[in-house]
Amino acid sequence: MRLIALVLAGLLLVLIAGALVGLALGPVKLDVHQVLKAIFSGEDPMAHAVVWDLRLPRVAAALVVGACLGLSGCLLQSATRNPLGDPQLFGLGGGAALVQALAIAGLLSLGTWALCTLSVAASLVGAAGIALFASRQGISPARLALIGVSISALAAALATGILAKARTFSMQALNFIGGSFANVTWQDLLPALPFLGAGLLLALPAAGNLNVLALGDRVAANLGAAPGRTRSLAIAASGILGGAAVAVAGLVGFVGLLIPHLARLLVGHDFRRVLIVSIPLGAAFTLWADQAARLLFMPSEIPVGLVTALVGAPLMIYVARRVL
Amino acid sequence: MLKLEALSFQSHGRSLLSGVTAAIPGSALTCLIGANGAGKTTLLRILAGELRPGSGRFVIDGTPSTSLTEQQIARRFSIIPQDVPPPAYLTVAELATLARFHPRSGLWWRPGDRDRAIIKSCLNVCQMDALSQRRMDQLSGGEQQRAWLAFGLAQEKPYLLLDETLGGLDILARKSFFGLLKGIASQAKGVVLTTHDLELVSDFADWTVVLRAGRVTYEGPPSDRLLDFLAQAL
Repeated sequence: MRLIALVLAGLLLVLIAGALVGLALGPVKLDVHQVLKAIFSGEDPMAHAVVWDLRLPRVAAALVVGACLGLSGCLLQSATRNPLGDPQLFGLGGGAALVQALAIAGLLSLGTWALCTLSVAASLVGAAGIALFASRQGISPARLALIGVSISALAAALATGILAKARTFSMQALNFIGGSFANVTWQDLLPALPFLGAGLLLALPAAGNLNVLALGDRVAANLGAAPGRTRSLAIAASGILGGAAVAVAGLVGFVGLLIPHLARLLVGHDFRRVLIVSIPLGAAFTLWADQAARLLFMPSEIPVGLVTALVGAPLMIYVARRVL
Repeated sequence: MLKLEALSFQSHGRSLLSGVTAAIPGSALTCLIGANGAGKTTLLRILAGELRPGSGRFVIDGTPSTSLTEQQIARRFSIIPQDVPPPAYLTVAELATLARFHPRSGLWWRPGDRDRAIIKSCLNVCQMDALSQRRMDQLSGGEQQRAWLAFGLAQEKPYLLLDETLGGLDILARKSFFGLLKGIASQAKGVVLTTHDLELVSDFADWTVVLRAGRVTYEGPPSDRLLDFLAQAL
């Protein structure tokens, strides 16, 4: 219990520090005092606008997307008993990516709420496919991952094709493919919040049973853990979270894959702890990655997915050597 | 006492069990013997509540299975299935702790004092005290089996079902495992084990049931008559 409290407290500090960097630094530099003043009063209209309209929604979006991806990967990994579980790798993000690509190409004109809902729905279709395969006896983790990767690659190719056909290789398209929080507004972020809540609500009743699921379906059923229902709930929650994340930030890779492994290194294998820690850990990782994406080559930006991959790939190799 | 009354089971039009009638003592080591495909695993799965018999029923200590839900049946039998790769990262103690898990309390479940006492004594019975902090993937095959056994025992259910769990073990490990099972069975627990190991069956089993093509062909204590019978039948 003390370990997890310590880890959560540490993560909270990392989050606060990241949020301060996100609010204070940029083309317009503010100090902590100015940031706090801008948050709580409108005395300085310029600082107020920078913080409230530009930087706060971006920080919040990074937090929400990171939390969604961390949680989503965590649920997928334990529900499918597969260390490669990741909404992007398993193709859950694929449907959402298609929806977003259609929207960017101008072939689908919907409001942000409808678009986010459609992304989540598309992602749930992918989740249903994975749930179907995962519930079959004798599907090995490697085959499940191969199926997922194939769906992902197909969806990514189609999405790129849609963008190319519409000749929209704009900054917006690049940001979508690489994953980015640039120019995120409150209107982009708000529709994702109910889905984060829904994903959490759906995941919680399943979470306790997921530890037992690791023992195999027969033993889990014998202990009363309803493996079929538990798995469906967890994968559905994962789909909702993964779809919402894509709708806000595009294809941010590696977060869902990496975060649960890091969480396990920190707090051990009890799934309930891994789940709790994955939320702030995913948020912190994504928030700091976005700071790097924003600030390293100022005034130009790189996609945040590039940073998560640059940091994530070596970390993942380390985790794979140590744990898998 | 488990009374099997004319149990039948079909799958994909093939009859896997037909009219299985037998009585399995409640406090004894019972061995289910039969060639591959004779219906041993199907029978165990019916007993565990995983499959519903097509017809017939079984009576668990006076309660007929037909009046129980799958979950209620599962609460009377702990199972140790074949070929389950142990989750590599779990320690022996963590595995045994999961045996006490209660889905109702789900997210907030923690082992209480009574749970811990039960886990400790089960690890002790299975001679796993010294290894309780080892990870499953650091154990030998025999030790893994004893860890699973501790997991099965810690559920404190009246019957324990083991499905050909001894495949990869050498004769000494199998012998000591049978001895362990016999000791457990004598402590008022019905242990049912499917096995091919006739020599150990005749040394340790209290009761044997022989299945052939989904029918019971012998039921009784292991004896010379059983061995003669098997010599002819197999």
